[in-house]
Amino acid sequence: MAVDVNSLVDTDSGLISRRIFIEDEIYQEELERIFARCWLFLCHETQIPKPGDFITTYMGEDSVLVMRDTSGRVGAFLNVCPHRGNRLCRADNGNASAFICAYHGWTFGNDGNLKAVPNLQDAYYNDLNLSKWGLVQVAQLDIYKGLVFATFDKNAPSLMDYLGEMTWYLDSFFDRREGGVEVIGGVHKWIIPCNWKLPAENFGGDAYHVAWNHLSALTSGFTQAPAARQTPGGGTLSPGNGHCILAVGAEDYSSAAEEIIQRYEESIRAETLSRLGERLEKITPNVGTLFPHMSFLRGSSRSFRVWHPKGPDKIEVISCQFVDKAAPQEIKDALRVTGLRAFGPSGVLEQDDMDNWEECTRTNRGTVTRRHSLNYQMGLGHDRFDEELGAWASDFKLSDSNPRYFYQRWARLMQADSWDQV
Amino acid sequence: MGSGLSSMNERTLREVEQFLYREARLLDSYRFAEWLELFCEDVRYWMPTRSNRYPLNSKAISILDASRQEEYEVSEEDELAFMEETKDTLQRRVARLDTGMAWAEDPPSRTRHIITNIEVEDLVSKDQMRVYSNFVMYRNRGEIDQDFYVGCREDVLRRESGELRILSRKIVLDQNVLLAKNISNFF
Repeated sequence: MAVDVNSLVDTDSGLISRRIFIEDEIYQEELERIFARCWLFLCHETQIPKPGDFITTYMGEDSVLVMRDTSGRVGAFLNVCPHRGNRLCRADNGNASAFICAYHGWTFGNDGNLKAVPNLQDAYYNDLNLSKWGLVQVAQLDIYKGLVFATFDKNAPSLMDYLGEMTWYLDSFFDRREGGVEVIGGVHKWIIPCNWKLPAENFGGDAYHVAWNHLSALTSGFTQAPAARQTPGGGTLSPGNGHCILAVGAEDYSSAAEEIIQRYEESIRAETLSRLGERLEKITPNVGTLFPHMSFLRGSSRSFRVWHPKGPDKIEVISCQFVDKAAPQEIKDALRVTGLRAFGPSGVLEQDDMDNWEECTRTNRGTVTRRHSLNYQMGLGHDRFDEELGAWASDFKLSDSNPRYFYQRWARLMQADSWDQV
Repeated sequence: MGSGLSSMNERTLREVEQFLYREARLLDSYRFAEWLELFCEDVRYWMPTRSNRYPLNSKAISILDASRQEEYEVSEEDELAFMEETKDTLQRRVARLDTGMAWAEDPPSRTRHIITNIEVEDLVSKDQMRVYSNFVMYRNRGEIDQDFYVGCREDVLRRESGELRILSRKIVLDQNVLLAKNISNFF
């Protein structure tokens, strides 16, 4: 590529160039080498439970239609009519057996196949091969514990290989109780004028900002933190492939928004321990980012979100809340209301984050500003591979260890011409 | 419609208008403690989300189908909302602003609440009335940041010791994807 990645990311020294947060040339390469290549999260299965259910989202900047066809199989396609390129489905979600393009009426089944074309006989002389003009399908689609992922790259490793050790950490959020999780109806969608990597790395392990940036929310009664027992353990964990987890100590529920949620966490301890095993005696995974841009948290809000890129300095967030399916209704309700008060556009924690990410992006427009690298040196040389946790772990709970692994992965993908080189 | 101006006491209408204008002025001048006093202790303050949903039973989509808006566009009461607040959480939100460390409001937004299209409807209960209004909330912040929040509100006002108080407020924003980076102000 034209961009010299080695000059942008130096994780040995903990220096990252500001250029990767603002320059369009680098952003265009990201769309090619990261978003058109990696496994990307689409939705949770409980968002499309019935045959015909669909949801629209993005993979990179590509509009994507995810649907469960009439036979119950989940597929994902470019949400684009192959005829003139019109956007096919303009709804966020729903249930349909077929989609009719608004422009000329080409009609597609919920399996992506082209079913009908107006004037096929008289205008096309029956000489159009419908089977060749269905919706463009993703190269691979797979589902892990209800989480639907897809990639546009047929040479990408399998989803299980891509997730690697991250699977256990996903289990600790999405499969810690019998039945896994379900998504609460409704979704938060909003625009943040920031580069997509800033929220991704923040959720990937920035414990450093919490005590200062979120102090106003912590002291105004939006979490149990001031009252609950906080354990000294925890830290940043990199289970490989650029995935990042931030953990607190075992049985530390201090980020629960209200006491009943804290009590709930304590009450399900035996079940989660038996399902997840002894790792849970060491840590409680609390926040994370699945490379490149899906993040989730299990503290003051149970939310998963994708930071969809919309240019080097803009993202659209699509954020949902999830709850343990087996949780009592009053816990589900408590999680919904406390969750939206903490995270989401009006969230008293998240609104301060967004303001920072915007300014961290905007300043990089300055030519001279851009010449100075950013500091990712916290805890440099103080992480080690923890066999029990299956991850690179920081010694201390505050560390830039995770973003260093995140950007190492980013750099490797940006340099590679194919998955063989990653 | 329960009633129009004919059966509506004109004085009540003027009173409601002045109540809502004063509320807007309190918000725009950062007088949040006084603003909180306008709410009943058991207030429900709710700002649902809106989505583009697919009509369930029609191929040709009729936007004239009234149920389409309410039924399909606005999130349900048990779904994710932009805000779902009680008096207590509104107070906590205001308390947070008062810590001096609420960075999304530092520097504070310059807001202007334009309240229009006020309609008052009698309710069955003698001391309660339903009030519809539209709003344009302009926000300017920092150097050049600006957002427009446009929508409608549906309030239930209750008379407590002679004073109007807000018992419930539903705020419907005319956006699907929120175009502002956050919601750090009130409506």
